[in-house]
Order: sequence, then structure tokens, then C-alpha cells
Amino acid sequence: MKAKAIVIAGWLVFSGIVMPAVAAPPAKLALTGARIIPVVGDDIPSGTILIEHGVITAIGEKVSVPYDAMEIDVSGKVLFPGMIDVHSSRGLDVANENFSVSPFLDVYDAIDPSRRFFENALRDGFSAVHVIVGNNCVIGGLSRVVRPIGLTPDEMTFHTPTALKLSVAPKHGWDRMRQMAELRETFLELKDYLGNLAEEKYEKSLEDKDEEIDVGPDEARERGEKLIRPEDYDDKHRNLIKLTRGDLDAFVYCGTASDISRAKTIAEENGFLKHMTLVLGVDCFKAVAELKSLKRPVVLDPQLLYRERDPITGKIRETFVPKVFADARVRFALQPMSSGSLAERYLNYQAARCVRAGVSRKKALRAITINPAKALGLEKRIGSLEVGKVADIVVFSGDPLDFNTWVEKVYIDGIKAYDREEDARLKELLGQERNRLSKSDKGGDENEETEKSESEEPAKAVGNKQEDGTDKKSDDSKSTITTEDQPSD
Amino acid sequence: MSYPYPSHSGISRRNARGFLLLAFVVALTWRGSAAMAEPTKAGQFAILAGKVITMDADDTIINNAVVLVRDGKIERVGKRREFEIPDGYRVIHAEDKWLVPGIIDCHNHTAGSLVDLNDMVYLTNPGLRTLDTIVPGTKWLEEARAGGVTTVLLIPGSGTNMSGFGTITKLAGKTVDEMVVRSPGSLKIAQAGNPEWYWFGVGRSYMNYNTRQTLMKAKNYHESWTAYEKGEAPKAPTYDPIFHDFRGLFGRMYPASVHTQIYQVVMTTVDMLARKLKIRTVLDHSTFDGFKVAPQVLKTEAYTINGPRQYWFDYTSRKMHGNAARWWQGGVRKLGINTDAPVVPQEELPYQAAMACWYGWLPYPALRGVTRIPAEALVVDDRTGSIEPGKDADFGVWTGDPIDPRSSCELTVINGKIAYDAKAKRVF
Repeated sequence: MKAKAIVIAGWLVFSGIVMPAVAAPPAKLALTGARIIPVVGDDIPSGTILIEHGVITAIGEKVSVPYDAMEIDVSGKVLFPGMIDVHSSRGLDVANENFSVSPFLDVYDAIDPSRRFFENALRDGFSAVHVIVGNNCVIGGLSRVVRPIGLTPDEMTFHTPTALKLSVAPKHGWDRMRQMAELRETFLELKDYLGNLAEEKYEKSLEDKDEEIDVGPDEARERGEKLIRPEDYDDKHRNLIKLTRGDLDAFVYCGTASDISRAKTIAEENGFLKHMTLVLGVDCFKAVAELKSLKRPVVLDPQLLYRERDPITGKIRETFVPKVFADARVRFALQPMSSGSLAERYLNYQAARCVRAGVSRKKALRAITINPAKALGLEKRIGSLEVGKVADIVVFSGDPLDFNTWVEKVYIDGIKAYDREEDARLKELLGQERNRLSKSDKGGDENEETEKSESEEPAKAVGNKQEDGTDKKSDDSKSTITTEDQPSD
Repeated sequence: MSYPYPSHSGISRRNARGFLLLAFVVALTWRGSAAMAEPTKAGQFAILAGKVITMDADDTIINNAVVLVRDGKIERVGKRREFEIPDGYRVIHAEDKWLVPGIIDCHNHTAGSLVDLNDMVYLTNPGLRTLDTIVPGTKWLEEARAGGVTTVLLIPGSGTNMSGFGTITKLAGKTVDEMVVRSPGSLKIAQAGNPEWYWFGVGRSYMNYNTRQTLMKAKNYHESWTAYEKGEAPKAPTYDPIFHDFRGLFGRMYPASVHTQIYQVVMTTVDMLARKLKIRTVLDHSTFDGFKVAPQVLKTEAYTINGPRQYWFDYTSRKMHGNAARWWQGGVRKLGINTDAPVVPQEELPYQAAMACWYGWLPYPALRGVTRIPAEALVVDDRTGSIEPGKDADFGVWTGDPIDPRSSCELTVINGKIAYDAKAKRVF
């Protein structure tokens, strides 16, 4: 019996269930010797980031490291802000419920921390994921920004409630008239509800004093308004009230260019124009002037290239969407493609494509870090490497825009959340390939010493080439987009 | 409280009045357990067992033991040589057998009519009761008794998020009243999985929202009554037959049986019910990768009743995981097994436990997981689940360890009455 128990225990331990680490993270941490791309501010060729209790407290070429800080040598690596997935419903079991108007829902109830999506997000260098209901709705539910690591939604949550989802593009099977009618009706009903509630409150206050109602309904509503307390609102209306009063942000999906003006109208009428982030369909770039005048953050479609056939000539015209926004000086955030098997799932790849199409390196890097943070209203806490910000840091093996670059480590709140060296799944997947490579002459790409001498050099060269933006049309770009396909702008 | 199978020899000694009468009585009673008997008083007998697994708090096991049964209860348990069997107790010889507490299933659908299993009126149906669907004396129950099962929790299906209150029944009795141990036995909640097919499809954000709303409504109802009873509210709240049974749920008199499986869903169950609403929670099924929630479960008083799936194959790591073994490894000790009968036949509950052991669990905790643990989970451990004086005489006499599939149940006693005797009529 005893022997069997030992065998069983051994077998169980071997097959490895991951239990949460109880040990506290090191209070102070210094990442030294790396090239730092803070996104906001100039790059530091070789510097140190000091993290104290999860917050960046110093950053620069020369930083005096306290005696009690753990020093971690990351020389030869690149430190970059943790990237932000600004709009994702992939942490949920279904993107949308079968409701058109459901502002009472919260993604909290459906976030699945065990989804492979979160594991991949961490592996791909994301430190924050904005989990939000999908676009197939009129008014969806509350969203939240989570860390891609943790056992429960509570553990994962970084910020909540982040935004309420709205869509001006029609739900599946609807047309735009019905979509807009439903939106208008929802907000009209809200006004009605508030009026009735105020009136009820006023009547109740008189009842308590044994007095008869003495004024007309309009006056009663006005008087009753002051008597309403936040806990009087019901679930169906509470979040809409917060939205219309500017206490809650909106993420508004616009499927096509003409939706922008509709989004503007509905936001203006209901008081959230200044609290709105626009999530755009691929052809919304056609309304770029209008978007510019709105001065609200925009999130671009993950499909960056727009193809349109001229109905008369039959010619195909291609537009690289981020370039249009960059040229118009409209700040934009990029999102990763939700399909896990395409390269567009990597946000740094999306940024690299922008650079290839002529967007400046600075703008491309901002579009995957600080701009998503601004779209979420969290730019004071995440999105760049600055003193005072949360220590969300990606350690890249090389330049973030180089396709040879790997995410080596991810620090979240100053805690090492991901380490490629300890990524068991990646090791299993790449094990055979690595063995094959190391046997051939090219080999040793995983060996630290050879990495510096061999693989790092060409990586840097490519990175520099993209950096100045002039030498970008080398042979590898010709294979996908030709310059004539670009629009005149 | 009469013994249903009076022994042949006992009656023949007392009734020497006439051949015809004797022949008549013999004919009537021939199918009784002929071999073992002395003159007895009704409802009293002593079983001489080779081994008694008491399943008490100290996990006592008594070899060469006697169990005295009187008026439906266990009167005394002890070593054979420590006390004399009093007069008037019929002696049943089972010196080469194991005496094991009656097996209990927390998740049963076969004690009632299957057509009434899923009344999918709304997404939550707090007004439904399985008490209305119990059918005594079916072949299913006979087979279950033959497998040493004495008590089950009959719960409604998982077609909706809340499908009503279940009923705890003994498996012997000719009427519903005779069978019932407690109604409501538990509240059935189903999270994700099956209820997702309701209407045109529902997602977890709405299902959980809606379940919580219903429970909060019930909780408010309970609290307004509690306030009234404490004298804090002047007027009695309006009686609501739909929500009144929730008083016992929030008063922690009985649990919620939750159909829950897959990591995120089990996590939500633990979070919403056990942690936030502080309801006694039984995690039924708790399969697939649900065992990863073990650290959260340990922070609560929830019971985990595993099955009917006993293993989970992880396609990513290409590893086979024994569910029960994983829960056990995660530190969870309030761990049992269910069958979801008829998904797995009721009498195969010990076999389910055997499978759990095949995939890495341990035999003794597995046996506890089909006896004492379910009794605790359902809050009926004051009556059944172990062999202790004062408890209901519910047990099986087995040829060996029930967890060993080679063993068979030879005699089942429910409420102090022999409910199955393989010598009289063998089922398996």
C-alpha cells in the first residue's frame, strides 16, 4: 500500500500541475545593461531600469542601484514597455450574448483564465489585455483590463470597469436603421426611466411626510432628481447613467466610414463624446478628416491593408490603413489579429509592417504601447517606460521590429511573469527543430555565447535599416506589397 | 418494522400445529434467507462480520466484529470477543465478509421519472421540486440496492441554470413518504455546459448574471424573514412558495449541487456560491481541467464530488489525468465520486471509484468518497454514511473491498431492514 502510494505520488508530481507561487516577489529589482526603448522619451543605448515595489523608480544610463535591489544582467537585450491588447473578446467563451442591449453584463462572469489565449498573449509580450464583448451588439457589457496571468479574474484584473461597448454597425442580420433605432430608443427609455424614478422618489418623500402631491409632473421630476441615490438605479440602467454622465468610457465600434458620423451624433446627444474610443472597421480611413476633428482615440482594424476593386476599370487599389492615419496626424492604436495562427497576432509584427509601409518607427512603436494605453484611459499607469509607471516590461532578444526577435521575459508589476527559458510548451514544440539546427553548421542559435557573435549582428542591422525609414524597400518588401499599389497619399 | 423475510427454521419450531399451516407458511417464506437464524424479535439482528469499515471520524476498522441492529438503527458495534450477543437477536453469519456503510450517490436521476428530468421553463426555475417525480419500486432501484447503494440524491437535470430542488431518498420503501430522507435535499444549479443550449444559446456572462440575480432575490427573501423572526421587522413578509425553500439553503441546512466542469466554470462556482454567497456547495462532476481550481476550493468549505468522467486527456501536454487523483494531489480532502445515474448505472458507483484509483487515487479515500463524504456533503451525516451507534442501519455486506471490482454485494440493509439478499434472489 505504502509503496503504491509513493509510486502514485511520484507519478502525480511528475506530470506537473502548476500551483500558484506563494513567495513574494523581490521588492527591488534592477535590470541592467540593456538597450532601453521607453517609447516616451529617447532610446538609451545601454542603461538600467530600477523597479521598486512594482513601480519604475529610475531609468537611465547611470542609475544608482540600492544595495538591497536584485540586479539582473540583461545586457545585449532590449527593454520595451509591455504591449497592450487594446480590444479582445478572446478571453470569453462567446464574444456576444443573444441580446441587443445588455449594459448590465460584465466580462468578469465569462473570463476564462485557463484559455490558451492568455498564455499566448503573455508569450507574445502582452502585459495587459482589454477584455471586452464583441462587435455583434447594440450595447454590450462592461469590459476590464486584465493581466494575461492569474488563477481567477480577480487576480488578473488591472482596471475595471474600463468601458461600455456600443456598436453603430448593424448586428448580424440587422440593418443600420434598426441598429440606430435601437440605440436611440435605449437612450430615450433611459431618460424616461430617470424621470419616472425622480417622480416616484418625490411622491415617496411626500408619502413619508403624509403630504399630498402638490405640483405637476415636470416640477415633481425636478424636485425628485435630487432625492435619487446611486443605489436606486437598477442593473439595466446603472451603467448607461454612468456613461451619459461621463463616469464610464465607451468603446464604440464603427464598421464602415459612414458609421463615424452616426457614432458622433449618438455620443454627442448622450454626453459621452469626450469619453469615447472608436474601434474602426478597415475602410473607416475614408473618414479620416472627420476622425481627426473628433479628437478621440481610434483603434484600427487588425487587417491593415484595404483592398478595393474599381467597379468600372476592374483595377485593384490597395491602401495601407495606418499610413493614412499617420499622414493625417491622427493618433491610432493597433490591435493584434484574433486568429492565433497568423503572424498578425504579434503586435510588434503589426508595427513592423507599418514601418515597411512608410509610417515612422516612433509612431509605429507608440501605436502598440502608449496609444492603446491612452485609448483605455490608462496612459498615466502603463504604456511606456517612465519613472512612476507600473513596471510592465518586455525583454526582447533584439529590436522589437526585427522578425528574428523573441520575447525573452515579461515583467508585470515588476514580477517576472514569463521566461522563455522556462516555457515548457515552447520547448516541447521547438525541441526537435532546435536539435536539428544545432547539428547543422548554422546552429547554436540558443547558445548564449554564439548568439552575441552571430545572430545578434544581422538582427541589429535590419533594425537600423528600418529605423531611419529610408532603406525600407529592400528585396523582402517587394514580395508582398508593391509601391504602385499604394494610394497617392 | 417487521423483518420481511422471516427465517424458515425459526417459524417451523414455533408452529407445529398442523402440516397444512406449516406447508403454507413454508411456501410463503421459502425464498427467505434460509441458513442464518435463531428465534428473534422483529427488527433486531446481529451481524458477525469479518471486517467492519466504520468510516467514523477516526477511520476505525474492526476485524472479527459484531454489529447489532435494532429498530432500524445501529445499536452497537464492537469486537466479537468483547461482548455477548443479547437474547432475541437473530444472528447473521458473515465472518468471511466486509461490512461497509451503505453507498451514497450525490448525483442521481433514476429515482424519479426521467421524462420529468428537465423542465426547461426559464433559464432559472427555482420553483421546481423533484419530490413530485419520485417513483418507488422500479427495476433501477432494485439493481441499485443489489449494488450496495442505500441513499441517493435525486436531482433534476442540467438543461437550465437552476432546475429546482432535489430530494434525498433511501432506496427502500413502497411509498414516497417511506423513501424520503429530506426534501429539499439540495438546490440544483448548472453552470455553463448544458444550459448554453437554452433558447438560441446563452453565454457565461449572462448565465452567471442571471443565476446570481435569482440567488440574490432568494437571499433577500431569506433575510427579510430572518429579520422578521428576530423581531427586527414588524410585519411578516409575504410567503412565497417558490423562494421559501431557499431559506434552508442560505441557513446552511442543505447544499447547492452544482453541475460544473471545466476550469473557468468550476472557478466561477467556487467564487460565486461558496466564497461570496457562502452557500454549502457541492461541485458535482468537477471534471476536465476543473482540478486546477483546487487552491480556491481549499479556501472554502465546498465538497468536490467527481465523475462520471474519471479521467481527462490533455491534448496539449498529451497526458492523461485522473480527475480524482488530481483533486487529491491539489490538497482537496472533501472528495467523493458520483455516477450521474443513468449516465453510469447507479450500482456502478464503487466501480467509478475503482476507476479513479486506476487513474491514481487511493482505495480507502475512494471508499470514503462514496460513503461518508457524500453524507457530509448532503448534510445527512447525522443519519447515514458510517457504521456508528445511533445512525441508521444502512450498510452492505460484501465479499471484499467494494472498490475492488471483483467483490460483490451479498446483502444490503436499509433502515435496519434487509433490502437485498443475494441468497434469496441474486441480481448480479
